[in-house]
This record gives sequence, structure tokens and C-alpha cells, in this order.
Amino acid sequence: MDKQVFNIMNLDLYYGKFQALKNINLIIEKNKVTALIGPSGCGKSTFLRVLNRMNDLIDDCHISGEVYFHQEDIYREKFDVIDLRTRVGMVFQKPNPFPMNIYDNVAYGPRCQGIKDKDELDKIVDNALKSAALYDEVSNRLKESALSLSGGQQQRLCIARAIAMEPEVILMDEPTSALDPIATLKIEELINDLKEKYTIIIVTHSMQQAARISDNTAFFLTGEIVEMDLTNKIFTTPKNQKTEDYITGRFG
Amino acid sequence: MNTSTRRKKRVDQLIRSVFLVATLLSASFIIIIVIFIVIKGITPFITNNDGLGVVNVWTFLTGTVWLKGTAFQSNLYSIGFIILNTLYIAFLTLLLSLPVGVLTALFIAKIAPKKLAEFLRTIVELLASIPSIVYGLFGIGIILTFVYNLSSVFGIQSKGGNSVLATVLVLALMTLPTITAISEVAIRSVRKDIEEGSLALGATRTQTNFKVVLTSAKSGIFAAAILGIGRSLGEATAVSLVAGNAKSGPNLGLFDITTTLTSTMLQGLKETTGVDYDIRFSVGIVLMIVILITNFILNAVKKRVGNVNVK
Repeated sequence: MDKQVFNIMNLDLYYGKFQALKNINLIIEKNKVTALIGPSGCGKSTFLRVLNRMNDLIDDCHISGEVYFHQEDIYREKFDVIDLRTRVGMVFQKPNPFPMNIYDNVAYGPRCQGIKDKDELDKIVDNALKSAALYDEVSNRLKESALSLSGGQQQRLCIARAIAMEPEVILMDEPTSALDPIATLKIEELINDLKEKYTIIIVTHSMQQAARISDNTAFFLTGEIVEMDLTNKIFTTPKNQKTEDYITGRFG
Repeated sequence: MNTSTRRKKRVDQLIRSVFLVATLLSASFIIIIVIFIVIKGITPFITNNDGLGVVNVWTFLTGTVWLKGTAFQSNLYSIGFIILNTLYIAFLTLLLSLPVGVLTALFIAKIAPKKLAEFLRTIVELLASIPSIVYGLFGIGIILTFVYNLSSVFGIQSKGGNSVLATVLVLALMTLPTITAISEVAIRSVRKDIEEGSLALGATRTQTNFKVVLTSAKSGIFAAAILGIGRSLGEATAVSLVAGNAKSGPNLGLFDITTTLTSTMLQGLKETTGVDYDIRFSVGIVLMIVILITNFILNAVKKRVGNVNVK
């Protein structure tokens, strides 16, 4: 069985002349939660956006090296980016629901893929909302604007929106940094449930969060991966002095 | 308190009163103008009009012929059909200029390369500042000929091209820059992360632009439409040159000559006196009321449409 979802080899990334990622080598395992930690500006969000090619949106961003999603190099010419993004979902730092009702938000992705059948969409929306632990709170007001939800609910809606596409991987870019502790807890519980079905890669600023929810952790510093290991190893017996300094709060 | 602070205080007070005077002056001008128009405009309905008798308000508002009988010998004025014409033309204009304007705005804001977008933005701003008489002359020179030829194709004899269609085309050209410029600002201010959210779900650029960007900007686009309608309702000069000055109506056929509230006011204004002169101010009152009501309704609709954007 193919246990590697992503295999990144010798990845360099530049914004213009500035090198944001240096020689990244990393393997992302299937059905695991991988946490990316490190101080601000160390390149972890940039790295996350390499994996669904969201960096394409930035004009002067270019990369070298190879990024394999299963056996396919996603940066080769004529690679189908749209298809990639349906298989690798993303949840952003700030909840970003569309200005539509709750139902339409979740149905958005499938509709863009051409699914029009009402019953099928109903089923997808129900399942996605249930998987995102939001169903009970919104099932009686699916036609209300998504913007009427609380911040935590909005973020779970964004997760539901990603799940509706039935992706293999969900990328999460500091998904709880704009939320209160209770909403954060709910999302963390959700992530725990989701890893049964999905591979999750999460950028986080909270060391405790990484320790609580992830299986593997990669520590980024100034564009490089300093250390990558099982999460409990990183947090108990880090091999690198810099990692130890960071997780014990001596800098960053 | 030393002298310098005291002087500062005095200067401050002086400047404040200068502002107050300026404000009062401009406010009073607006009030004076409105009062002048209202007084002039109600004269036909409350005086004897040099022996012709009082103009009937109901007939005036609902009738389908501008003047039954001859000027200076009759008081049977009506503008019911003109009100209808005006709204009809504003509606057709919007039907034409809104989609074109919004698509242009979308192109400038989201699709065009940066340099081209900058260039187009300048052009649109330039077009928005062209005086209406220039559009009117363009209308006479180009659009009338075009409409005249077009009507011949359909086997219709139009009055030298003067028509509903010509009026709508001229007004569409005039409102297009305004609608484009305002929609473009609305589209550009759509939150980037909402767009990214759509793209990250595997939506194409086009799907994102139409399903997410435009829906997010709809409140601003609506504001653009309101300004566009305001301009087509209020435009006089260019319209007078191409409308054809119909004397009865309503004029709904595209190649029929027509008339609007504004062009009616302008027509022959300099060559007339008595009730035939005053009645144009009555038309002015109606125009102001029509614009007020339209704005009121559109703003109410805008609130409902825009509601989804409010947290």
C-alpha cells in the first residue's frame, strides 16, 4: 500500500530574489496529522501552499526541486492544478466563508465540478456538515447566510466545504489562530476524528496544539527544516539544540 | 493664558465662522433653487393662467398628449406618457450598460495584465469626465446615422434616427464609464482570501470570478447601477439631441421618436412665456420626485440584496 502521500525532494522556493524555502526534503504519511511549527516568517505557510500550488497566484514566485503527490510531480508542465486542488483541500487562517447561504457554501465545490443533481448535493452537504461536527447546529437553517455564524462555526463550515470535495489531504493554515479557546478545542477534536479518513497537514503557532493533535512534527527555521520526527520525540527528546530552544520557549 | 494661545483661539473661531458661512451659503442656494422651481412649477395649477384656466393636476400626471390644442390657447398639458418614457428609457439603458459595465470592470480588475488594467482604468476615468454635450454631438453624428440605417434594414422609416434606441444608446455610452469605474472599485475590494478559498476548492478562475467575486461585490455593483440610473434620468442635453421630441405617447417601439422629462423641459424653453413656460417647471418638480422615489426604492432593494454581506 502506498503510505506516502507527498514526497518533497530538494525543494527551493523564491519570491523574486528572496529565497523563502531552502532544500526541503520531507515525506508526508497517509492518515497522519503532520504539524509544521516554527517562528513567524520561517516559511511554513509558504511550504503548505506549495502542496496545492496556491503559490501560483503570486507573480514572482518560482520553485525548483520535485514535489510528488503519490507518484506524480505536481510541478511538471501541463499538470492539472484544478484536479490537484480537488484532491488536496485547504482551510485558511481566517474563516473565509463565501457570502452565500450555508448550503451553497458547502455545495460550492461539488457544483464547480459539475454536480447538479439536487439529491446528490443534499447528501454531500449533509455528510460534510456531519463530518465537520456542524450539522446539529445548522441543520435547521441551511438557507441562512454563512456570515451569520460565529467565527468557530464559520471555520468548521470552511472545513465542511473542503470535506465536501472528498479530498485525500486537508491543508490547514493556522486554522484556530483567529478563534477563542472553546472553538479551538472543537476544531482540535474534529481534526482528531478526521485523520481516520484524511491526511492532515497543519501549520500552527501553538506548541501545545502541535503536541496535542499531531503524529509527526516538522520544525521550520528561516526556510529550512531543522528537524522532522514523531511528535512525541520532538517534544521530549529533540535531537537539535535549536529545536529544543524553540519548544522550550527560549526564542521565537 | 498667554497672548499666543489667545490669538490661536481667536484665529480658530474666525476660521470656524468662515466655514459656517460657506456652508450656509451653499445650503441656502439649494433651498432657493428648490423653492424657485416649486413656486414656478405650481403656478399653472393654482392661477388662472392669463384666462386659460387652471391646469388639472390629474390630467397633467396621467395624460398621453403633451398639449391638446395650440400653445397659448390651451391649458391641456399632460406628461403621463413622458414619465413612462423616462422610466422605460432609464430601464433599457441600465439593461445595456450594467452587464457591459460590470464585465468590463471584471476584466480590468481581475483579468487584464497590470499595465493594460492601469491604461483601461485611465480611459474609463477620462470617459466619465467628458461633458454630455460631446456625447450628444457623437449621438447626432454617429448614432443617429447608425440607428437610421438599422431601421431601414427592418423596413421601418425612423425620423432620421431620432428614436428610443438612439436615446438609449447615447445614455448607455454616458453611464457606462460611471458604472464601470464604481463596479471596478467594488470588485477590487473583494477580500482576497475569499477568492483563494474558491480557487483552493478546485474552482477555475472563471467560476471564481462569476460565482464568488461578483456575489461579494454585488452591493457595490448595485450602487453603481443606482448612480447610472440617476444619470440617465437626469441627463438633458444629449437626450434632447437624439430623442426626437415626441408630442404624444407612450413611445415604446425602439425606432419610435420619444421624449423624456428632461428633454421636454429643454424643448423651446427660450421661446415661450406664460403657462407654456411655467409648465416646464412643473415637469421639473415631477422629475425631482421621480428621481427621489427611484433612489428610495433602489436603496431599499440594495439593502436587501446587500444584507448577505453584513455580519
